[in-house]
Amino acid sequence: MADRPDINDDELLERIQDGSHEAFSVLVRRHTERFYRLAFRFVQNKEGAEDIVQDAFVKLWEDPAKWRPERNTKFTTWFYRVVVNLCLDWQRKKRPTELEDEALLSDERPSVDERLIRAEEQAMLEKETASLPERQRTALHLCFEEGLSNQEAADIMGINLKALQSLIMRAKATLKERMRSYL
Amino acid sequence: MSDSHDEKLDAMLRARGVKAPSEDLAERIILQARGIPQAQNSSLWQVIRQLFAEFHLPKPGYVLASALILGMVVGFNMPSDGPAPQDGTAPTIQSVFSPEEALL
Repeated sequence: MADRPDINDDELLERIQDGSHEAFSVLVRRHTERFYRLAFRFVQNKEGAEDIVQDAFVKLWEDPAKWRPERNTKFTTWFYRVVVNLCLDWQRKKRPTELEDEALLSDERPSVDERLIRAEEQAMLEKETASLPERQRTALHLCFEEGLSNQEAADIMGINLKALQSLIMRAKATLKERMRSYL
Repeated sequence: MSDSHDEKLDAMLRARGVKAPSEDLAERIILQARGIPQAQNSSLWQVIRQLFAEFHLPKPGYVLASALILGMVVGFNMPSDGPAPQDGTAPTIQSVFSPEEALL
């Protein structure tokens, strides 16, 4: 079943709660990539991120009653929270950051030297980010995730905007201190 | 200086790449879920919803709201059991009976 833009997430979830596997398929195809991206930012590991997203969706299928529409929360906000919790569990069990062989950059640089320097900077950034306290790390990942506003990030964490901004400020202050030579 | 450090740090945070997921990730999830039964813990509300879905009735909320409104409309239009009018035309218990059956 291809995506059905005429059916919103709440309706899909109602159908999933009624046992519709087709509705579940639509929801999975619609949202897998976005939740994978967030999971990857946390765990920096492709297989780990895929396992986390798979686990989260399968848990939703097994017990769709966990989603309560009367909570007045968007599905994505609630599901981001589920994924974040799974990421934090994963990190507690595994090494803090299992970096990929090559630090990933989102833009291309023509010069090899520049690319190497940037890769080193990114690797250091990931290492230092991974050592931040959990809540600061979570706030940072959510705020720099594409498509999420600060308010959405605050909603996912269950805190107000001011608290989120305070976490971000503290996280960045720590990173600036530790990465002085790269800035 | 601090502003430029902020900007550089923000740029570094935004430049973090994400490795693309496997192309079949979504399909794998869908396939795995297919073999897993759903939990049967239904709340009373879900039981009602399922019952309505079974008989192709409209959403329970709409039905209940309509029944409430209908009940109120019918209730307000029913004649009340208030005091009898004073012009003597209201039926009394005795006038219901024929003269032979009037109360002694």
